[in-house]
Amino acid sequence: MCKNMPPLELAIQFHGHICPGLLMGIRVAEFALKELGISPDVDEELVTVVETNSCGVDAIQAILGCTFGKGNLIYKDYGKNVYTVASRDKGRALRIAQKFGGNRGPESQRFRELAQKGNLTADEAAEKENLTGILFERLMSAPFEDLFEWREIDFVFPEKAKIHATIQCAGCGEGVMDIRAVDTARGLICPTCLEEKGGQ
Amino acid sequence: MCESNVYLNKAGQEELLMEKVDRIIPAEDGSIFLENVFGERRVIKARIIEMELVRHRIVMEETSDAAVAQKRQEIWLEPATDHGHFHAGEEVILRVHKGYNMKPGDHKPKTDLQAFGVSEGMSRPLTLQEHHGNLELNLGQEADGLLHIYVREDGDHQLYGVIVMEIGHHHHHGLKPLGLPLEIVPADYSHARMGDSYEIRVLADGKTLAGIRVSATYAGTHNREYPHHLKTDEEGRAKIFLTARGNYLFSVTKDNITSTFTLVKSF
Ligand SMILES: [Zn+2]
Ligand SMILES: [Zn+2]
Repeated sequence: MCKNMPPLELAIQFHGHICPGLLMGIRVAEFALKELGISPDVDEELVTVVETNSCGVDAIQAILGCTFGKGNLIYKDYGKNVYTVASRDKGRALRIAQKFGGNRGPESQRFRELAQKGNLTADEAAEKENLTGILFERLMSAPFEDLFEWREIDFVFPEKAKIHATIQCAGCGEGVMDIRAVDTARGLICPTCLEEKGGQ
Repeated sequence: MCESNVYLNKAGQEELLMEKVDRIIPAEDGSIFLENVFGERRVIKARIIEMELVRHRIVMEETSDAAVAQKRQEIWLEPATDHGHFHAGEEVILRVHKGYNMKPGDHKPKTDLQAFGVSEGMSRPLTLQEHHGNLELNLGQEADGLLHIYVREDGDHQLYGVIVMEIGHHHHHGLKPLGLPLEIVPADYSHARMGDSYEIRVLADGKTLAGIRVSATYAGTHNREYPHHLKTDEEGRAKIFLTARGNYLFSVTKDNITSTFTLVKSF
């Protein structure tokens, strides 16, 4: 029963809570799987470029397997709900952009208000729960084209993540990736030590 | 909308309260002032549960303490496990709850409550045990297949609680109604998950009950009242889109019977 979790459940388990942003990410991930005819990533076969760092990105990580840890999730800090999903095997990339106004309306606005508020009263907690339900049904059943637009683009695949050597920092003695260490008068030191004490 | 007829929902049936109402003013204390085109006035402790503007129809539900106390009597069954459902080989224990909106109340289920397990149309009594102040049904580790179980509490207001659970992996098609005086049955038994649309049917003595109100809630709701209200169609069917985690509870009341159905979800 708990095995072979459907995408929706994977994403919710990973993200912790259910919110409209996550649901939009779920729609993107499911659409990309279907449209590109791909399976979730195992070993960096897929690459996703996300132009936001909000809730939806967690759906990409949980469902598509493009993760921060594997390095096949590339983050561009553009503040846009735009996701580019690319498959090496298929040699295809899909740029999926949330339509302006796609997730608007009084319910979404009120949800955001409540989500930003710290301590909710019992009535507000109930209201937020009910809004989640309304938005859940709406966002999960709306035709994809009502929420997003997409097109195939040319995509230059980044090299697969490299494995770098770890050296010991001359300052703190902790291990640091060789390309991140800085050569100083005291020897090779890590960014933490460089930030704290300069080259001293 | 010009004027509307105002109905009171009493135990699932609608009763005309006032005709051609043209003014409705809700007050802060939870009462509602009504005035109609004939100049009649009324104040009632109620809340609006439905407004059909095109059909000039407003449905209210009484919220006076007496009305609520009467209503806050439901019994239901829940899997006694922290993750909401059972896996094959696990000890299957069900707990009987009494309260309202999936929140256990002050009254405990009566100890002469009866429990039955039904399979292949055969009903057999089950033994209830008191365990740390809870009434429980222990079905052991061998429970397997589709379990259809109900509890019944007799009184002026009769209470039923039904649960369907699948232990292990099987394929089932359709579920035979129990034939209770009032009963909620899954329209087509299958695994229900979040994001699915789920359909139930309401039957009275095995016959379809059209146009009755069914309330639906889920574990851990912040709502004091049931968050969802459905109405059965001509075939006694009603649908809900499942948007919450955990198990759902459906409840229906007609005359002096309240019957619940617990939907066990895997997530
Ligand atoms: Zn979120
Ligand atoms: Zn260091």
